[in-house]
Amino acid sequence: MPKGLFLFFMLLLSLPAHAEDWPTEQWPTGPAITGPALQALEAYAFPPRDDTTRRGIRSDALLVIRDGQLIYERYAGPTNAQTPHLTWSISKSLMTTVLGVAYGDGRFRLQDPVAKFYPPMEKHPDLTMADLLHWASGIDWQEDYEYAPLKSSVVAMLYTRGRQDMAAFTADHDTYAAPGQAFRYSSGDSNLLSAALKTIVGPDRYADYPWTALFEPLGIRRAIWETDATGTFVASSYAYLTARDLARIGLLMARDGRWGDKQLLPKDWVAFNREPFIGYRANQDEAVPGGHWWLNRAAGGGARPWPDAPADTFAALGHWGQAMYVIPGANLVIVRYGDDRDGSYRHNELLRLALKAFAGSEQP
Amino acid sequence: MSSFMRRRPFSALLLVLLLALVGWVWHERVALMAFPDIISAYTAKEYCSCRYVMGNDTEYCLSYVKQWLPTSGFYDDVTNKRITVSGMGRTNRAAWIGERQGCRLNP
Repeated sequence: MPKGLFLFFMLLLSLPAHAEDWPTEQWPTGPAITGPALQALEAYAFPPRDDTTRRGIRSDALLVIRDGQLIYERYAGPTNAQTPHLTWSISKSLMTTVLGVAYGDGRFRLQDPVAKFYPPMEKHPDLTMADLLHWASGIDWQEDYEYAPLKSSVVAMLYTRGRQDMAAFTADHDTYAAPGQAFRYSSGDSNLLSAALKTIVGPDRYADYPWTALFEPLGIRRAIWETDATGTFVASSYAYLTARDLARIGLLMARDGRWGDKQLLPKDWVAFNREPFIGYRANQDEAVPGGHWWLNRAAGGGARPWPDAPADTFAALGHWGQAMYVIPGANLVIVRYGDDRDGSYRHNELLRLALKAFAGSEQP
Repeated sequence: MSSFMRRRPFSALLLVLLLALVGWVWHERVALMAFPDIISAYTAKEYCSCRYVMGNDTEYCLSYVKQWLPTSGFYDDVTNKRITVSGMGRTNRAAWIGERQGCRLNP
């Protein structure tokens, strides 16, 4: 074989390794995107911002990763690239990803009863880790924020009766259904997972575990995760990351739990995250629950929640418009932080416009 | 009783409503006792995190935590990163704990 041809084949063989971009200290950047499709997206996501009435769509950050490269970012309001922004309920999917590392180490199984790791749950002996991850604990929980503060379990948990020990507050609730049967979105379920993790990894390692297991391996240098008075991470609500760092978690999920050459999350864990919960009924929530991630799948007798996005789209979602969308088929990760107070923001519209602006020819 | 209701229908109605109210207050007593704490606790905690975790400026954070219920006696002890807020007759505090732990209520 001529030497030139041999080198050519060697180059072909080594292409896949070079073709895959990963962030190191910074994200590699891709070619800047311009044009009318981007203008339409920006007109939707960044209309004139009204900090007095707080009406309308109020994006704080919008960041797009394609093929492991940062191709777009824009910030507004007080937020910039260095701001560790409150993620609200995106924290739930982050805690799940932390749990996934412990799962990969063989420290627990999905069908383990939660009471095995958190004794106050002996009141609910048949409730498994999988049930909590599906938000199907059957615990009689009321997830309202501003509109029904008297009856809201989540407001009581975060600010009044539950704030000292949020998991114990949740465990103390009665049940309305058998575990694993019915979906009801509950921040209490997420904090029970957080309390279970304390035993799963051991109390000595727990306080550093999200950093040692997940943030540091991904190169996330600055993350804040607030706890209750017992030191349990408020997995329901209180993790803070920059948009650039949250996107690292998105890339990990887009690539099936692999970071570089290391399978950080087992593939069957990510598959569980992305499998619709069979007890879900159409229109129970704004998207379809998987294993503590939100899916764009036709499930429970309903159509896809975001018809203009591909069916493989999944997301971590939080109060006041926080969102991270992962679209593996289009190699896209989109982080959107906001401060929407009136619910006018639409996931489907953002996704439709973003896909127009950023998806390549592989877009369905 | 029935003659009382016929003679004083409005008083009887008021009495029934009052009894219903007392019953409801008893039934919801735990939630009602905690309710007045919400506004000051929410304001103290979320201001603390807005200012000292996210690093936003004071003016923005004051507007960020504004809700429909009024607060009084807002005090940010800047040296110790400790916020004290009163509202609806209750006072709550939040303080910044550390680089990774952020803020917590009544630490």
